[in-house]
Amino acid sequence: MSSHDTVSRWKRWRFHLSALMLILPIAFMPQYFHRVALFSGDLGLGQRVIGEQTVGPWSVRLAEFEERPPELDGGAGYMKTFSLALCDGCESSIRAMYLRVGKPRSLRTAGAIFFGSPYRQTASVPIPDGTTPDAMLWLTAEGWDGSVHHASIPLATASPTTAGWLRKRGGR
Amino acid sequence: MANITKPPPARKKSSSKTWFLVHSWLALPLWAFVFFVCLTGSIATISQEILWLADPAVRANPPSEDAPILGYDEILAAVTREHPDAVVRSISRPVKSQFALTVDVSYPDASTAALYVNPYTGHIQGREAGFDFRGFMRALHGWLLMPFNSGFSIGWYLVSALAIPMLGSLITGLVVYKRFWRGYLRPRLRIGQGARVFWGDFHRLAGIWSVPFIAIIAVTSIWFLTRAVLFDMHVSFSTVGVPPVVTRADVPDIKPGDPLPLISLNRAAEIAHETFPDLQPSFVSLPGNAFSHYRVGGRGAYPLLFETLSINPYNGKVEHTRRVSDRSGLELFTESMRPLHTGDFAGLWLKLVYFFFGLLLTMMVFSGMMIWTKRTVKETAAAVRRARAPRAAPRTPRSAPVLAASGVQAKREAHEQP
Repeated sequence: MSSHDTVSRWKRWRFHLSALMLILPIAFMPQYFHRVALFSGDLGLGQRVIGEQTVGPWSVRLAEFEERPPELDGGAGYMKTFSLALCDGCESSIRAMYLRVGKPRSLRTAGAIFFGSPYRQTASVPIPDGTTPDAMLWLTAEGWDGSVHHASIPLATASPTTAGWLRKRGGR
Repeated sequence: MANITKPPPARKKSSSKTWFLVHSWLALPLWAFVFFVCLTGSIATISQEILWLADPAVRANPPSEDAPILGYDEILAAVTREHPDAVVRSISRPVKSQFALTVDVSYPDASTAALYVNPYTGHIQGREAGFDFRGFMRALHGWLLMPFNSGFSIGWYLVSALAIPMLGSLITGLVVYKRFWRGYLRPRLRIGQGARVFWGDFHRLAGIWSVPFIAIIAVTSIWFLTRAVLFDMHVSFSTVGVPPVVTRADVPDIKPGDPLPLISLNRAAEIAHETFPDLQPSFVSLPGNAFSHYRVGGRGAYPLLFETLSINPYNGKVEHTRRVSDRSGLELFTESMRPLHTGDFAGLWLKLVYFFFGLLLTMMVFSGMMIWTKRTVKETAAAVRRARAPRAAPRTPRSAPVLAASGVQAKREAHEQP
C-alpha cells in the first residue's frame, strides 16, 4: 500500500465524512426513548418518587419529575418541576394542589398550581434567590368545599439534587 | 456561430468558475448529512399517511354510508365505557375524514396514551403507546434526537444551520446554470450516455423545477435557526401574553360527592361555532385543573394558522381568543413558517407534493455528489494516464477541424456544468 494510494483514498473519501453526523442520532437514541417514556408517564410519575404525603384528609404521591438541579427559565428565574398523583377517587373532593418554597401566607400565595390529570399532574416551582438547602417545600390542598390544608416537606428530602445545587451556589 | 469562434471575455468566465466552485463547496463537504436530513424530512411529511397505510386502527371506516359523525360528548362517553379508568385530556379530529380521532388519555399508573377512536361508533380501535412513529421521524429530522435541556437542542442548530448552504446552493446554482429558463422549455434527461451525463441532466432538471420548493424549505429553516437563537437569547416579540385563568369567583364550591357543574363538550363546541362561524374545530382539550378552560381550536379562513378559544367550563363564557387578527404582522409571518415547511395545511394532495419535491431534493444532493465523484474519477484517471504515458511521446497534434469541434464541445459542456 503506497502512500500515494492512501492520499488518493483520503481525497476521495473526505467528502463523505459528514456521514459521521449520523453517529449523533444513534448515540442519542437511548436517551431520546428514555425521555419519551418519561414524558408519556411510562416511567411512572417521574424519575424519583418522593413518596406519599398526607395533606389534611387526603394524601398525594409526590415525585421529582427529573432528577436534576433547577433550570433557568428566562426572566422567571430557576424552576424545578414536581409531579403528583391524587389519592384514589380524591379528584371529586380536591379542587387544586399547589407547591412552593417556604410557608404560604394565604391561598393566593400557595405557589405553583398543579396541572394535568388526577393520575399525574405537574407544577414548575420557582426556586427563589436566597433559598437555602434546608428550606421547606409547602404543599397546599384546596378542597371543592373551599377547605384548605397544608403539609411541608424538607426540600432536601423532596429533591436532594436541588439541595446539593443550592449548597454549591452558597445561598446566592 | 459567431459565439463559437469568439470566446467570452476571460473575466466573465473566471467569475462563473468561481461561482461554480462556491456551488460545489457549499454542499459537497456536507452532502451525506444534508442527504439524511432531506430524506428524513420527506418521510416526516407523510408519516401520518404511512401510519394510515400500516395500521388499520388509524383509519376511520363508517359502519354504513350515511353514518353520522359523533359529537364530542358521545366520543367521551364511548371512551369511558371501553376504558373506565381512563381520564380524557383532549380529542383531536384530523382534518381528513378518513383518519380516526386521536383521544389523549391518562391512566392510573401515570401513563398516557393516544387512542385511535372511530368517529362514527366511538370504538377504540387501537392505541399509540410506546413508539410514536410521527414524533420519532420529526425528532430524527429536526434535531437528530438530541435533547432540549433548558434551551434549544444542539441537533436543532446543526440541522437548521444547513439552511444557509442550501439557500447558497440554490442561488449559486441558478447563477452557474446559464440561461436555466431554457431548461423549462426543453427538458433533457439523457439516460443512455453514462452516469455522469445522467446525473448532470437530472441535477439541472430537478433543480429548476424545485426552485420554489427549495426556496421555501431554505427560508423556513433559516427562520427555525433564528427562532432558536432568539429563544436562547431570551428575545421575545410574542403578543400571546399570560395564559388565561378562570377567576376564583366563577369556580363553585361543591359538596363532596356532587357532580362538577361543567358545561358539556358539545356545548363548548357550539359556543366556539357561535363565536367564530368560519372556524373548523379540530381539537378540544379539557381543563387541566379547576381554574383552566376548555380550549377549542382549528383552522379558519387563513388555513396556515390555528385559531383558539378559551371557554370558561362553568359558565360557557369565551374568555380568551387567539385569532389570525390577534397576531402582529411579524407573528403572522413567523407562525406561517412551520406549516410552510411541513406542508400540512391543505390536505393530502399538498403533503404528496411536498413529499415528491422532498425526495427530488434528496436526490439533488445525491446527484450533486455523483457528478462530483464521476468527474473527479474521470479527471484522476486522466491525470494518471498522463503521468504514466512515456514522456518521450509527444501529444497528438490536433488538426484544425478537431480543434474547432472540441471548442464547440467545450462550450456545450460549459453550459451543462451543474
